[in-house]
Amino acid sequence: MSKQKKATSGGDHFTRWLVIGMVALVVITGVIFSIMSSSTKANESFAALKGYTLGVSIPSSIDVAQGSGLVLNPGAPVQINLWEDPQCPICRSFESSIGAYIDNLVVSKKATVVYHVLSFLGPESIRGANALMCSADEGHFLDFHHAMYVVQPALENSGFYSKDNLLKIGDYIGLKSKSFIDCVTKGSKLDLVKAHEDSMPAFKVSGTPTVFINGKLWQRKSNGFDLNEFRTAVEAG
Amino acid sequence: MKKFNEAHQQLLTLLARLILGGVLIVAGGLKAFVPADAARAVAAYKILPAQLAHNIGYALPWLEIAIGLLLIIGISIRMAAIVAGGIMVIFIAAIISVWSRGLLIDCGCFGGGGAIDPSKAAAVHRTYALEILRDLGLALSALYLYFFPYGLFSVEKLAMTNEEK
Repeated sequence: MSKQKKATSGGDHFTRWLVIGMVALVVITGVIFSIMSSSTKANESFAALKGYTLGVSIPSSIDVAQGSGLVLNPGAPVQINLWEDPQCPICRSFESSIGAYIDNLVVSKKATVVYHVLSFLGPESIRGANALMCSADEGHFLDFHHAMYVVQPALENSGFYSKDNLLKIGDYIGLKSKSFIDCVTKGSKLDLVKAHEDSMPAFKVSGTPTVFINGKLWQRKSNGFDLNEFRTAVEAG
Repeated sequence: MKKFNEAHQQLLTLLARLILGGVLIVAGGLKAFVPADAARAVAAYKILPAQLAHNIGYALPWLEIAIGLLLIIGISIRMAAIVAGGIMVIFIAAIISVWSRGLLIDCGCFGGGGAIDPSKAAAVHRTYALEILRDLGLALSALYLYFFPYGLFSVEKLAMTNEEK
């Protein structure tokens, strides 16, 4: 014990600082490497939107009775209510397996789809939700919705859903009218975004994605999102 | 107990270094090359603002690797032990904080990490307890190294005994 104490009191200060310096160097290099590789990945995601063509224009309306939900194709025999957050990674996997089917239900007028765009994952969800509402005014909610999940970054609130990047998403898919740009830049739909968020308790929604088919909560049995399982549920009504 | 320690201290120090250093290198190595996952794992604790949490998620794996290497090779063991012990105490505090706030997350200790399905609550709580025990063990190893940094096969000790001659 005494020998060990002696050893450090006579320690070499140069060596200690050298070691501290080396550790700092390793950590700093590592951080730079990590940040660079993450941001490259985020920017590469835009490439997936190249050549995207806008779908048909679909009018939407707001139904105050349904928590200000965004209604597409009202009056169909089946109604699907979807609760999502733009930054929620599981919503992304829902969109990638079932999104195309839902879009098709709207376009072919087989179902009424009501979107509730939540924003509890932070400020970037609020910005994203605002941009989504703006795209609805242009008649291209489904396009923007799809594109937004395609480029969704792995990290929440990492600075990716900035106004610039949201406009860039619009630019890639062909949504670049002045009204859309103004709406995203000014945050014209923030009140509506808040109304969606505030309606959660009234509909007993506590997470995303939450799906109701004709008012009945859809509970998936498979681990992931299975298109056939969902289709069967929708067709059963 | 004291006699046992005096007789085997060099070996015990070596073991503590290998265990603590080994765990740090493995834990750091698994996270270092999946930076987004590491950053998300730290953010999932919801203790720090997102941006800061992400940056810590980027830095932590590299710090773990560097400290782990120092411990294994045997350079500046006492200093490395202080840092490693500090990291373990922070981990323990973070897990306790998450547990007490009722959050269900994967600690992200060895990569992975994030929110977990609520139906798995019991399993997650058991995991939290095991993680706290594990980190406590590692913190004790660090404490031992603080008091007895010099043992078998360490660069530092070789250099020192040379000086003494």
